[in-house]
Amino acid sequence: MAKKIVSTGRGGAGKSTFVALMSRYLKPPSLLIDLDPDLSLADMLGIDFQTEGKRTIVEALYDAVKERQRGGSPLTPVEDRFKGFVWGDCLYEGKGFDLLTLGTKDLEGCYCYPDHLLRKTISELSKNYTNVVIDSPAGLEHLNRNIVSQVDDLFVVLDPSDKSLIHIKKIKAILKEVGMMYDQFYILANYMFDEESERYLKEAGEVFLGKIEYDPKVEEYNLKGEPLNKLPEDSPAYRSVRKILEKAGLV
Amino acid sequence: MGKINVITGRGGTGKSTFTTFLARYVNAKPLLLIDLDPDGSLAKMLGVDLEKEGKWTISDALYEVIGSGKDTKDTKDVPDLLKRKIEEGRIIYRDKKFDLITLGTKLAPGCYCLPDEMIKETIRNLHKNYEMVLVDSPAGLEHLNRKVTPDIHDLFVVLDPSEKSAKHIERIKYVTKGVNISYKNFYLIGNYRFTDEVETYLLRTEEKYLGRIAKDPLVREHNLKGESLLKIPEDSPSSVSVRKILREAGYGIV
Repeated sequence: MAKKIVSTGRGGAGKSTFVALMSRYLKPPSLLIDLDPDLSLADMLGIDFQTEGKRTIVEALYDAVKERQRGGSPLTPVEDRFKGFVWGDCLYEGKGFDLLTLGTKDLEGCYCYPDHLLRKTISELSKNYTNVVIDSPAGLEHLNRNIVSQVDDLFVVLDPSDKSLIHIKKIKAILKEVGMMYDQFYILANYMFDEESERYLKEAGEVFLGKIEYDPKVEEYNLKGEPLNKLPEDSPAYRSVRKILEKAGLV
Repeated sequence: MGKINVITGRGGTGKSTFTTFLARYVNAKPLLLIDLDPDGSLAKMLGVDLEKEGKWTISDALYEVIGSGKDTKDTKDVPDLLKRKIEEGRIIYRDKKFDLITLGTKLAPGCYCLPDEMIKETIRNLHKNYEMVLVDSPAGLEHLNRKVTPDIHDLFVVLDPSEKSAKHIERIKYVTKGVNISYKNFYLIGNYRFTDEVETYLLRTEEKYLGRIAKDPLVREHNLKGESLLKIPEDSPSSVSVRKILREAGYGIV
């Protein structure tokens, strides 16, 4: 059974950057899942789903529903067709890791149904991997949906504001109420921290694993949409992420 | 009829900071502010402690009327019960310059469809009592899919200096078109991390760019300590830049 790792935090804190940098060090085979409708993990990893001919979860769901409306595969439940599409069309297989992305929906309504289907698929898929890493959308709603009910390592990436400390409390309250279990609750400082604000985190009473170092190259790559895996391994960002993962026992 | 203006953008770009300054300087009376973010912090940035004021968030109110089970067991009664709570003064916080309603954090499993549906109904009922309604959105796109505000006057998108923001603009357009949300003006704003170089690089779209929110150590400091942004001096770079942005959009300023 795969180790389930979740990266979460307030918007813009650097959740996806952390996952993209982490992917270099994870023991293969690992599965990365981008749960953010405003997706960017694939971009950060230099993967173009369109040229790869891959579909998002939301697109697969449309495909399954449309096929049914046309009268195709009438005997297979939509959910099973969807699962077939996920395995066949959505799973990008790369070196060291595979990738699934949720995708953007342009129909009215929430992401409950795609998320619900994904929850079932994740538990089946995870049997084939050493690690399953989930990159969360900003905010808290994905926690309410309880997409993975048993998390091994939960990383919360924080920005230097009082809101981050409130965010930690809210996360914990929701996890408790929805019954999501976790083994480890880790907090990380993002690149915007200085020493004074870091002290703030150390007083938060959580396991603080360190800071993702400020790296002008990351800023430049993100601005231009260049993949982060082109960064040299001795860059400050990579080195700091490696250190964090060592502390968490993942490397 | 109140104009409904929505502030959105990727996470951490500065939506709530911008909304707070907007609330301070916009010349509209009466003004209603709505914090749609479950991880919301608008009240705090405005220096309002809702708990101390004895006010409920929409999520609190739903928990009270549904969760306690003493008023109803049927969700179809919820809108009326919620309306009563509003009339009883439990939900709207009233200040000199603005009124405030917040969505709040939900602790129960499931999505925010019901709280969002309730706030949508509330906006529909209340907006005619105001000259302007400012809606501070949660990060991301899902609130657009829920169509909480179908008719927007001004849609402000706060950008950070990343290619992701450029793509975010396209995704906003894709979703608003798909779910049929209308807006009169689509405005772009650069956040405090913007530079001249970023402006020339990112702004290759035909959308109207209103300018950038100036970097201001005071904003960072106030946000770190959780202090009200309304206390930041009038002549600080952030205040000055937001007034400039508002003038650019043709707003009256106080």
